[in-house]
Amino acid sequence: MIKTYALRIWKYTRSLQLTIILLALLMCLVLFCTLAQVEMGTQGAVNAYMRSFIVWRQPLLMSLPFPGGALVGLLLTINLTGRTLELQRTWAKAGMWLVHSGLVILFAGEFVAGMMQVDTNLSIEVGQTVNYVQSYKNMELAVIDVTDPTWDEVYSVPDNLLAKGGTVAIPGTPLSLNVKRYFANAQLTTLAPGAPPSLATAGVGTGVSVVEQPVVSADNEMNQASAFVEPVAGGRSYGVWLTSVALGAPQSFTHEGRTYLLSMRLLRQYLPYAFTLKQFRHDVYPGTSIPKNFSSLVQVMNPSRNESREVLIYMNQPLRYEGKTFYQASFGKNDTLSVLSVVENPGWLLPYVSCVLVSLGLLVHFAIVLRRSLKRRQDQKEG
Amino acid sequence: MTFINKYVAWGAGVLALLVALIFALPGGKARGFDASGFGTLPILEGGRVKPLDSLARNSLLLIHSRQGFRHEGRMVGPDEWMLDVLFRPQVADQQPIFVIDDPEVISLIGAKQTKNRNYFSFADLSTHLDEIQKQAASAQPIAAQKRTRFQSAIVNLFDRVYLYYRLRNTLQLAGSPGLGWELQSLGTSDANLRHQDLTQLAHFRMLPPPVGASPEAWQSVGQALSAGQTGGPLHPGLVPLAKMNAAYVTNDSASFNQALAEMDSVVSTLKPDALGQAGRELVFNRAQPFFVGLSIYFIAFMVLCFSWIYKPELLRPTAYALLCSGAIVHTLGLAARIILQGRPPVTNLYSSAVFVGWGAVILGLIIERMYRKGFGTAVAAAAGFASLIVAQNLGTDGDTMEMMRAVLDSNFWLATHVVTITIGYSGTFLAGSIAIAYALKKHIAPKVDVETDKALVDMAYGIICFALFFSFVGTVLGGIWADQSWGRFWGWDPKENGALLIVLWNAIILHARMAGYVRERGTMVMAIFGNIITALSWFGVNMLGVGLHSYGFMDKAFVALSTFCASQFIFMLVCWAPARFWEQKPHSKA
Repeated sequence: MIKTYALRIWKYTRSLQLTIILLALLMCLVLFCTLAQVEMGTQGAVNAYMRSFIVWRQPLLMSLPFPGGALVGLLLTINLTGRTLELQRTWAKAGMWLVHSGLVILFAGEFVAGMMQVDTNLSIEVGQTVNYVQSYKNMELAVIDVTDPTWDEVYSVPDNLLAKGGTVAIPGTPLSLNVKRYFANAQLTTLAPGAPPSLATAGVGTGVSVVEQPVVSADNEMNQASAFVEPVAGGRSYGVWLTSVALGAPQSFTHEGRTYLLSMRLLRQYLPYAFTLKQFRHDVYPGTSIPKNFSSLVQVMNPSRNESREVLIYMNQPLRYEGKTFYQASFGKNDTLSVLSVVENPGWLLPYVSCVLVSLGLLVHFAIVLRRSLKRRQDQKEG
Repeated sequence: MTFINKYVAWGAGVLALLVALIFALPGGKARGFDASGFGTLPILEGGRVKPLDSLARNSLLLIHSRQGFRHEGRMVGPDEWMLDVLFRPQVADQQPIFVIDDPEVISLIGAKQTKNRNYFSFADLSTHLDEIQKQAASAQPIAAQKRTRFQSAIVNLFDRVYLYYRLRNTLQLAGSPGLGWELQSLGTSDANLRHQDLTQLAHFRMLPPPVGASPEAWQSVGQALSAGQTGGPLHPGLVPLAKMNAAYVTNDSASFNQALAEMDSVVSTLKPDALGQAGRELVFNRAQPFFVGLSIYFIAFMVLCFSWIYKPELLRPTAYALLCSGAIVHTLGLAARIILQGRPPVTNLYSSAVFVGWGAVILGLIIERMYRKGFGTAVAAAAGFASLIVAQNLGTDGDTMEMMRAVLDSNFWLATHVVTITIGYSGTFLAGSIAIAYALKKHIAPKVDVETDKALVDMAYGIICFALFFSFVGTVLGGIWADQSWGRFWGWDPKENGALLIVLWNAIILHARMAGYVRERGTMVMAIFGNIITALSWFGVNMLGVGLHSYGFMDKAFVALSTFCASQFIFMLVCWAPARFWEQKPHSKA
């Protein structure tokens, strides 16, 4: 009994009917996602409709739950794989084989991108050397040992650990941090006279009042992450400090002759190589403000590979280096600051493979069909 | 008989080509002045070197929505108008060229709406300039898609008035005695201020880069006068320009034409290729290949419709020959744009419409060769006509050969991604048009013709396969371009989603037919729905105004797009309804 049901379901998952239903569902999702972008922004709409399994509130059809992009994509992949395996293994179906296996790869590519792609950026001023990329949204509390003037030792506490609160030991140092309070987003103002005193007992935080704010997610807004932390070492407290993205200069304290900086900042990932921006160009067409070209001339220095060379990164011409791709994305500070967006996607090659397979497959298939139909016409004429 | 038919048919095609050629020939002189020679002079505007004629046509299109107008019983062409604006603003100010449709704007300038289209001269508007500027300034900060009708209209009027104002102050300050007087008063103390005004207001730069300057350093008259004021060498183009100015004001055509020849020689010494390049673009402007092409398509379509009721053996080949002539003119126009611009055929919304039409016409011609039933001709002529009409309406926003923004500046991707995806649009539209023809024929034709119906379905099916291939490859190539320039293959951007919808819909049609869920009629209904999806992803996306792709925002086309979609739904119903459902059914035998 169960076996027959299982068989039936398996048979249905391979059916053309399901293909058509899934394609139609996907069309609806794409439409919803496009319309929703006006209100939610691109990233918000994609997360709500395409990267989710169930869409709980969609704008049309009485807000009924709707299968999400991830579910439809997964089912479509299963359906596609099933159908591909079911295709007759004959030369006449060679084109269809290519097309469908190409599609499976395309879907796999989108899944890999959805699950594993990491987007960061690298802001660099002319003449500056930078050896890290930073996140767009995630924060970290960096504890930096600056005792050695030639070398900074950086210990980082990511924001999700700060959000949990409690005590965080800093490995490799005698320090541990007591997280008194963490705000994912906050507004900092000067403490008004007569207001309740700040939680902070040391540093600039003593004169600042902190008000929690709702977390923002739009592309052009940034959360002002803030935290009250108490560094403890050797049983001794160094006071409660306020650290925040909104505060400018980092604050420092000294323990047993070593000086530590406390700095809340965008999460950094340090690279085993460094970039120096030698030149940034922003050209316009003569007599207009229409941009003609943006380009960054970068010196790439990689001691581990004993490499030092110049690379020009410009529109439509990114640099692929050590698994990361660096794109010219933005600029600022009167054309002296260049922002490169950095993408790490282990599956970036899959769409290229898929494109070749599917185009080839469609060509082969239509050639076969055309030949068949021409032959039929010929037969009709002769017959 | 068939022999004569053939000659008559091809004769009609050749005649159409000859008419097209006449358009390209130079017209006569305007009141003795070599206006078209003046229009050939190269200028720098909008980041590229073009003939003054292109600027004149585009400005007149913006201001007047036509490339010429009647005034005092005479046709005034774009070049003559430009001469008046530049050299005799007092005359140009009296010409009623500003078209204003919005009744609230008309009442704002203290006039009454008299007819459907209302034309005003700059002189009419000049007493209300402050009010127009004030109203426009309050409307401008509002995002274009959120403006009310009045706000859009007033901003639009302000932009046009400002364009006109800048044009008339580009070569001389309007109201001053002219450029000759400016040259004489070089070195006087109050000249400085006038030079600054001229430099600021100049809409284009007419003087080629002097010897030793950077090849892009074209100068406006104001800039050249400023350089002369500080004792530098005088730009050699200023004197002939001043002579032309004086001769035009005193109505001395002989001296004007002579000064024009001097100007030509100055330009060809400083910028040897500019004059030739501008001359070629002028011929293209004058020939108006897309306007001529759409007229020929229209005639071809009409002839074909007649062929169904009268002399089909003569009129059907005639329609086919006319369609071929239209396609030749269309192709030449497209090729001319590619050569003039040095870019692949599709660079903006306007050129995509031109190219979609071209693709549909070529496909239609191939189908007609294969099936010879007249349907290929009908559908191709209709599609070519419709898409060129769309292009004509899209081309009123200024220069259609504008420069490409940095991210789009890649001939490789423009040639591959944009062209393939646009061919996909052509295919989907052509399949939809065939389906509409099928639907209409089913209800109108006097007898059921199974064979023709089947041929039409075969055509539509074949073209859907073709469209699926091109739209899929185009979409994936777009993804690869995005991966190269923005760092992600697929970002669910509205334009990408639009392209994906076309691919999905064509895939659904093919699978539904393969599984046997739809047969003839169903396939055709679905093909008509493809028209809606394509139109939405082509134009609807630009109306959403979000995403990286929405460079070409439009605010007026919304009504047109809704009407189109509604009409397609009606065609779907017509197609879906059984043939002759309105006739009294014979009683069943039971």
